Amino acid sequence: MVELDNQKEEPIPSDYNEDSDDSDSTQHSDESDFEDSSADKDGDSSSGSSDSDSDSKSELEDGSPAQDNSGDSEDAESQDEDDVKSEGGSEGSDIHQEGVGGDESDSSEDEVAPRNTIGEVPLKWYEDEPHIGYDIKGKKIKKKEKEDKLGSFLANVDDSKNWRKIYDEYNDEVVELTKDEIKIVRKLMKNQAPHTDFDPYPTYVDWFKWDGAKHPLSNAPEPKRRFIPSKWEAKKVVQYVRAIRNGSITFDKPKEEDDAYLLWEDDSGLTEKANHLAYVPAPKQKLPGHDESYNPPLEYIPTQEEINSYQLMYEEDRPKFIPKRFTSMRSIPAYENAMKESFERCLDLYLCPRVRRKRLNIDPESLKPKLPNKKELKPYPITCYIEYKGHEGAVTSISVEASGQWMASGSSDGTVRVWEVETGRCLRRWEIGEAVNCVTWNPLPDIHILAVSVGQDVLLLNTGLGDEEEQQRIKELLLVDSPKASEETGKKAPSVSWLKDDKHDGIRLRHLKTVTSVEWHRKGDYFSTVMPAGESRSVLIHQLSKKLSQKLPFKLHGLAVRSTFHPSRSIFFICTKKTVRVYDLLKRKLIKTLYTGLKEASSIAVHPGGDNLIVGSKEGKLCWFDMDLSAKPYKTLKCHPKDINNVVFHRSYPLFASCSDDSTAYVFHGMVYSDLNQNPLIVPLEILRGHANSNGRGILDCKFHPRQPWLFTAGADKLIKLYCHY
Amino acid sequence: MGKHYRPAGKKKEGNAAKYVTRTQAIRLLQISLPLFRKLCILKGITPREPKKKFKGNDKTYYHVKDIAFLHHEPLLEMHRAIRVHERKIKKAEAKKNVERANRLREKTPKPKIDRIIRQRYPRFVDALGELDDCLTMVHLFATVPATKEKKIDVDLIHKCRKLAHEWQAFIARTHRLRKTFVSVKGIYYQAEVEGQTITWLTPHALQQVVPDDVDIPTMLNFLQIYQPLLGFVNFHLYHSINLKYPPLLDPELEAEAAEVYGLIRYAQSNNKPTILETSELVESEQLESKQDGPEIQNKKSELRLAQLQHQLPSNEPGALMHLVEKAAGEDGEEYDDETKQCKNLFQNVKIFLSREVPRESLHFVIPAFGGMVSWEGEKAPFAETDQSITHQIVDREAQGHRFLSREYVQPQWVFDCVNARIILPTENYMVGRIPPPHLSPFVDYGEEGSYVPDYAKTIKHLQAAARKEVLPLPGVEKDLEDPQNLLAEGIIDRAAANQAAKEKQKLMILEKQYHEDLKKELQGATYTSAGSTEVIQTGESLNNGQANIDDVDMAELVMPNKKRKLLKAMEISNQRKQSKNDTIIRRKKKLDEAQNQRS
Repeated sequence: MVELDNQKEEPIPSDYNEDSDDSDSTQHSDESDFEDSSADKDGDSSSGSSDSDSDSKSELEDGSPAQDNSGDSEDAESQDEDDVKSEGGSEGSDIHQEGVGGDESDSSEDEVAPRNTIGEVPLKWYEDEPHIGYDIKGKKIKKKEKEDKLGSFLANVDDSKNWRKIYDEYNDEVVELTKDEIKIVRKLMKNQAPHTDFDPYPTYVDWFKWDGAKHPLSNAPEPKRRFIPSKWEAKKVVQYVRAIRNGSITFDKPKEEDDAYLLWEDDSGLTEKANHLAYVPAPKQKLPGHDESYNPPLEYIPTQEEINSYQLMYEEDRPKFIPKRFTSMRSIPAYENAMKESFERCLDLYLCPRVRRKRLNIDPESLKPKLPNKKELKPYPITCYIEYKGHEGAVTSISVEASGQWMASGSSDGTVRVWEVETGRCLRRWEIGEAVNCVTWNPLPDIHILAVSVGQDVLLLNTGLGDEEEQQRIKELLLVDSPKASEETGKKAPSVSWLKDDKHDGIRLRHLKTVTSVEWHRKGDYFSTVMPAGESRSVLIHQLSKKLSQKLPFKLHGLAVRSTFHPSRSIFFICTKKTVRVYDLLKRKLIKTLYTGLKEASSIAVHPGGDNLIVGSKEGKLCWFDMDLSAKPYKTLKCHPKDINNVVFHRSYPLFASCSDDSTAYVFHGMVYSDLNQNPLIVPLEILRGHANSNGRGILDCKFHPRQPWLFTAGADKLIKLYCHY
Repeated sequence: MGKHYRPAGKKKEGNAAKYVTRTQAIRLLQISLPLFRKLCILKGITPREPKKKFKGNDKTYYHVKDIAFLHHEPLLEMHRAIRVHERKIKKAEAKKNVERANRLREKTPKPKIDRIIRQRYPRFVDALGELDDCLTMVHLFATVPATKEKKIDVDLIHKCRKLAHEWQAFIARTHRLRKTFVSVKGIYYQAEVEGQTITWLTPHALQQVVPDDVDIPTMLNFLQIYQPLLGFVNFHLYHSINLKYPPLLDPELEAEAAEVYGLIRYAQSNNKPTILETSELVESEQLESKQDGPEIQNKKSELRLAQLQHQLPSNEPGALMHLVEKAAGEDGEEYDDETKQCKNLFQNVKIFLSREVPRESLHFVIPAFGGMVSWEGEKAPFAETDQSITHQIVDREAQGHRFLSREYVQPQWVFDCVNARIILPTENYMVGRIPPPHLSPFVDYGEEGSYVPDYAKTIKHLQAAARKEVLPLPGVEKDLEDPQNLLAEGIIDRAAANQAAKEKQKLMILEKQYHEDLKKELQGATYTSAGSTEVIQTGESLNNGQANIDDVDMAELVMPNKKRKLLKAMEISNQRKQSKNDTIIRRKKKLDEAQNQRS
């Protein structure tokens, strides 16, 4: 049965190999020999090599398991089998040669009759047997001893050719594939012809040689159609022509080059743009200066230090273009920002709103207003004429007597002095013992009374000037029936008490809070005091003849700073921090509120005409109000960098002045015209310097001489100065 | 609904009624932002600045009328059609119908720009007035590399090149060029056409790099209007001097990269309408053919043929009279004084260009000022060996073989001569030397306090010298050059002497004043003792300085806030200018000191 099987098997491969050539077979035999030898050299297993071919084939062909009986022990046998194989090669020539035919590998398997002759039977049958089958002589082929798995694995790992090895179950042996076989396997996997020598695209070799042939291949005459125009084509053409004529076929128009033509043929009449909106042409780009030259003068090239200093600048301040110098034109490189700058220009052109802006190509001097010549506005105080020395502290306040012969001053050293104006002689001196806030002389020329505010008190002092008759009157005025006064004040104005001051021979008005300023009415009978912290009683009006005090019957909005009387009418001004409130004292009502727009007003003065007033502020601004005009300043002058301490009008000359902590006093010409249509003329005239700054305070007070255009200034540097017009 | 429907919430009057924001505009026009931008570029519509920005400061505002103007624009419809067409192409491509796609691509509708140009620039002068940016852009794109990924087309660049050359040829032919300036950024040219001053920048003849942060489509949008604009302008200009517009260009000259020269020659040869000219032409042709040998005769260029064809009708008796009249008219009226001056600057100069000099710009500049120019090349009008060449422009370390009959100068000489309008002495510009500084002709020294570089003064002296003396005889100009040099130097000396004398005079005057002042003071002092009225005067005279300072302050006191701020701003800007000037003067001083030390 086994035999039969074997024989059955044989025809199959032989069929398969029938087409094969002789040459191939011989070639193959050589190769196979060679393989054998190589296998021998390997020395791994002599038999393996010989059988490898067949095994590989069997695997490739059907992959059906086949058992082999050859064992390790039977090396000798295997050698025999080799012999057998070779014999088979020579003897069974038919089989051999045919078998070699198709492919190397195929043939090699078939020519060598398989060692095992059991045929195509399930290998299961031999599972339990000690042998795998029978060789050609009928001997049993014994199974090889199985290696333990670990050993085989280690062997496999060590063996570099492991990947070529395949276990053949049929013959029970390990087969190593040769390189050629692997090539074949690979080719098969790619669906290519397995044989390496097979060329799928051979160059075509024409069997007929054309060149040199005299006669045509065919002797047939030229067909008519070659030289007669085609009837059908002609018909087709006619069809097309008709179609074109009918317009059923249209052609693409030739590509039109939009050529230039005379676009502005006649534009002489045109003046207006079609677009009726205002058209603003794009501004032209700035023309380059010397610094952009490729070879600028040396002085245009920044030094290395300067270039380094550019790095420290802010990005926007940094110069965009740094001049460079090239010594010849050939060395100019391409400008790397050319595209970028062009692009930026494009962006400007279509993204920037265009606005026509008047370029002020004017002299900055022309912006300044034309002031009238100062010489025409003379006289005004110019130079320091006399200095009054004597105070040991900052002079806080000064006042000039109505006749202009005497001047009183109060200082922070606690003294009040009276000076003779023209000589600078100190006439009298009162030790009050407390810093003097304000000194004011009674405006009447025959009543020589000084009002001095010291802390919470206001002192009325008799200066002792004037003839005896006058002195008599003054003494009568200053006579106080003290208990009576206290009773009276207790009823009406408890905030103030009229006391007799024996030490200085005068009256002491005791207030509740610190009094900052005292202001006389023009008739010399009334005077007002301001206590900024006094809340509802911050402004009081006192009557000297009746020794009466009363508070204002108005509600004040804001902190009172100063107060002053109208020079001719019964109108009273109270300057609060932000506004000036104007009251009619007879009608007892508010007339007007003037809004200064200042942060903190510090002083106020009323023009002798009564319709204009100025307010000085702590931020150094000076506001001129024309009360007929509006409630807002007619003009605001920003002249002082520091606080303004006082502002003052001259009684007869068109002058006003301001003094400030920056140790300067400004003298202005302030002309008010009787014509109501004409605005007041304000001209700054002179800056009076000379006072020194002490403890951050400069000039604390300034007053005009009642008759002469002279200005007294009281400085924090203990000096009083008189500025004259010559 | 009333006569005009106003949507609810739309304002009747005021800024909100007059202006719309960009988003509103786009929504109204129903187009995409890129298309809106493109239309704005083409139509020249810019945002506007309403007095009150009712939607916030960060918005861009357009005038309602501008938007309405866009709304009625046929271009809008055209772009819609283009979009539809693009969709068709896309579809054909998606179906792999390449043939149809290609056919469609060819048939893409192209917007016509001429009407828009006419709208934007109703008069030719308007177009000329705004040609600066156009020219700069076209000249820039003539040097840009064509790249596929940036969609810069080769044709576009060639067109730009062509237009630029045509423009230059016209300017050179009519001698309208006024100023040139070689800067690091490129070469600036200034021309005067029909009373309009046109300045443009051409990049150096090197390949430009296209940076990535530049949005090329925007620039191409601009080119889309600039190219036809320049085409129309060129047409108009060529038409005005009786030339056929797309000028025929000798292909060989084009190959030699001497297009400008070719165009100028074309313009000149076509523009000689008299009878004499024809004979002259023939003569010159003969001459040329003799010079250049048989080679040129064989290759009768297209140009020559065109010239002859153009000339033929002028030989007909009927046309003759007309042409002569025209010629007479042209010679008489066309050139104003400045143009004449420009035309005659290089009249007697024959210049040969070496290989390494920037040929394109010199081909433009030299003929524009009436010079003859040649170069090393096949179609060059005369060879290097020509004995009549007066100057050779060379830009190398050293010149090997020298002809004694000519001057070897650096290219800067040409530009400086042009700016100074005189032929400058060449000794500073010799080969191998570092040339004197190249100064910008655009700087106005008239402004007081501006810094004047030394070389500008030298040139001024030279100009004065050239003006005062009778111009040297044209025939002997070559020989005269050196004496002219000497003369110029002499004049510089003289000028220096003049200055010194002036300074002396000034000193004298000052001294006198000082003495007088002293006297016055003395008198014043004497008077003080005498009378009180005079005291004031002396005080014043002593206080004068102080008073002046006060004066300044006083005026500022009375100024309104607004004006005061303006004044401050002006002062600051003046100070900045002054400080710039000062740094330059300081550097100059340092340099001078260093030089003195060295010497």
